[in-house]
Amino acid sequence: MAKQPKENRFRQTTVMVLISLFQAICACEVILYQKEASNSLIYIFAGYIAAEWLYMMFGVIITGNDYFELEAIAFFLSGIGLTVCATISEDYALKQVIAIGLGLAVYLVLLLLIKNIRVAMFLRYPAAVASLILLAVNLVMAKVTNGALNWITLGSFSFQPSELVKVAFVLVGAVSLDKLLSNVNLIRYIAFCLACVGALFLMRDFGTALIFFFTFILIAYMRSGDVRTIALICTAALMGALLIIYFKPYVANRFSAYRHVWENMDTTGYQQTRVLIYSSSGGLFGLGLGEGKLRDVFAASTDLVFGLICEEMGLITAIAVCVSFAFIAVFALRAAKGAKSSFYAIASVAASGMILFQLMLNVFGITDLLPLTGVTLPFVSRGGSSVICSWGLLAYIKAAGAPFKLPSPDVDMSRKAKKGGTAA
Amino acid sequence: MKKTVKRAAVLYFLVAIFLAGMILLTVQFVMNGSKWANNRANRHIYSGGTVAQAGAIYDRNGVTLAASENGKRVFAKASAVRKAVLHVVGDTSGVISTGTHYLYRSTLSGYNLIDGIYSLKSKGTGNDITLNIDSGACRAAYEALGERNGTVVVCNYKTGELLVSVSKPSYDVTDVPKNLRTSERYEGVFLDKACSGIYTPGSIMKIITAACAIENIPDIYMRTFECKGEYKTGDGTVICNGTHGKVSFQQALNESCNCAFAQISIELGAQKLKATAESLGFNKQLYAKEVPLVKSRFNPSASSKTELGWAGIGQSTTYVNPVHFLAIMNAIANSGTGYAPDRIKQTGTLTQIIGRMPEIMVRMNPDTASQLKRLLRSNVTDKYGEGKFPGLVMCGKTGTAELDDAESHSVFAGFCARDDLPLSVVVIAENAGWGSGVAANTANRVLQYLDDNR
Repeated sequence: MAKQPKENRFRQTTVMVLISLFQAICACEVILYQKEASNSLIYIFAGYIAAEWLYMMFGVIITGNDYFELEAIAFFLSGIGLTVCATISEDYALKQVIAIGLGLAVYLVLLLLIKNIRVAMFLRYPAAVASLILLAVNLVMAKVTNGALNWITLGSFSFQPSELVKVAFVLVGAVSLDKLLSNVNLIRYIAFCLACVGALFLMRDFGTALIFFFTFILIAYMRSGDVRTIALICTAALMGALLIIYFKPYVANRFSAYRHVWENMDTTGYQQTRVLIYSSSGGLFGLGLGEGKLRDVFAASTDLVFGLICEEMGLITAIAVCVSFAFIAVFALRAAKGAKSSFYAIASVAASGMILFQLMLNVFGITDLLPLTGVTLPFVSRGGSSVICSWGLLAYIKAAGAPFKLPSPDVDMSRKAKKGGTAA
Repeated sequence: MKKTVKRAAVLYFLVAIFLAGMILLTVQFVMNGSKWANNRANRHIYSGGTVAQAGAIYDRNGVTLAASENGKRVFAKASAVRKAVLHVVGDTSGVISTGTHYLYRSTLSGYNLIDGIYSLKSKGTGNDITLNIDSGACRAAYEALGERNGTVVVCNYKTGELLVSVSKPSYDVTDVPKNLRTSERYEGVFLDKACSGIYTPGSIMKIITAACAIENIPDIYMRTFECKGEYKTGDGTVICNGTHGKVSFQQALNESCNCAFAQISIELGAQKLKATAESLGFNKQLYAKEVPLVKSRFNPSASSKTELGWAGIGQSTTYVNPVHFLAIMNAIANSGTGYAPDRIKQTGTLTQIIGRMPEIMVRMNPDTASQLKRLLRSNVTDKYGEGKFPGLVMCGKTGTAELDDAESHSVFAGFCARDDLPLSVVVIAENAGWGSGVAANTANRVLQYLDDNR
């Protein structure tokens, strides 16, 4: 691996300094906002920022290269998520910072594993089997716990299996389609996809089902490049969806408020209208952390976190968050172009496509540009499974990343974010 | 492998869709942000559906009509003032949709695209609004109406400032009657009759017919009309309020002679009458600055001469909006330039610097305006008597709007031809009988109050 130019390393440090500064300002705002000085919040934020720098210094041992643009973006996004959690309670902040730590661990372990393509090949069977078992258990348990269908609760610990399955789904897809040895392989893979999407449908987690379907299409396209086949699959899926709506009208009812949220603002359009009302209240610079009212709405720190950022940190910060994701996609694309094998290229594109698609479902769903499906904002939304999954997916992009030039807009983006935060 | 890499460009496509969506979202925030942020569900501004935190509303003399104190809304001190200005100030729930609370909610909340409602959040108040309204005069108007429901509007015709806007029935916002929504007494209480009401105008409509006659019948002043107490049109009868004998055009207006005006209307024809009325703003969606008015309606029958005759004297299917008619008075008084009555004096720093530009609502031929002014002046000097409006140099026209199943509305429209008191007025007192009674007296009392408190 070629040594990177000095100039880039300098920029990387600048970016990290800016991100840390932004996070320190957020931390101060959160801590000063507390009625009583909270030592644990200070430890949490200090620990988080320290962990970032430690990773920057020693991450090279595991990742084998020392450009951290991708991780810098992930740290920036996770930091915003952590800040939001900290404004709600210490408990949430602690859980979130642990989740980020776990996410980072998953990221590194996965990176180590798939660095060797043979290990990746081998992993697909256990990954597929484990996924199906998890979803099956989920389906059974969900019947017991009634209501929250996509959660598994074990004592005081609960998680969303579908999030973990996402990571496996990309691996299985990328490996299977990279080496399509036989028709049997293809059929097995399709069966796996159908099982996953079907299970999610039964859990009524339509948003995640859609994400899986989209990723499947993306992988299929990457492998075959056959637009006609893709069109056929989509048409078939659409007809299937219509059939489902016909036989199970409750599916359509879930989305009946779409584009009619203001007429149903106290029922099915409640969340979307509150997001719009409070997001616009925040203006460009926000009302200040903890000053918002959207936080009183159900799922404010999970599904609706984009609205909460708009209201409290301002539209500029919210747009910076979104632009960060666009950068992840650009990284993934460049990584794919320099990938050693098409497995890495496919995995990189699939992972970032999945993240981007979920981002769109989330941001546009809660603002009524798309139907509301109840998916989380990757990296930012509160919740362990979601954060861990986001970091896990990042490993595929990183793994594909042969040395490539650092795109300079990264610096601008962070500055913008910092400005938004300072004013907030 | 190479192909696979090429296909990765599909990500660019995804990013492009995403960025397009973000742009669309941002555009929506720019376009609708004010509407969204000022939604009644916004608990930064509203509490339990009523305004809690917002800028204050003052009258032209600095009297507080509404303000926020400790997260609660407080109002004018005197109960009579609270009732008199209710519809202009508006209730805090936005039920009175033309009230300042609702109509100017984004100003009161201090919303702007850059800061959102940050000023409201940090200072506890948005932008203050100072009205052109004189709360003392509103109270005088409210009390002058006595038991009657109806509306009183007074405007400075040289500037367009709306000084008085009262609508009855009203209630005290700080002491809401329990039977507000059920009692017959409060029917229409949430309607600001000044801008959202329309009335059968009765004889004040003859001003419009006269305007049409002046412009379309060259020898109108030479004409005489025969009044025998009723006029047979050929397909029906128009009944007059008296038997006036042989009258000139001016006398016909002074006496408010239905026979003469029915003849004039029929001679002019539906088309010309309608053209004049529409040139003065009838059948058109008008705005008194930001305040939407209910359309005044004038659709004279082209087939029935009797109906046409009745339409020309303000009965039949003719309806006027009080604020619109006030603007017509402004045009007559102000040489043809009828400013839109504007309730707002200042809405924050920017308007304080620029000032609010007057807007023209009604335009009239200056020559027609001056002739009408002379005719309306003669109404007072020759018919009603100066004693009815001492010292005001009043010009005006009374009207008695006949209703099918109730006592007539008493109507008055006019203005003071005094340079130091450039005020126009429209009064409608519901079911109060003759126009020269309650309505004219109310107009006099309000204008006297404003003259005394200049």
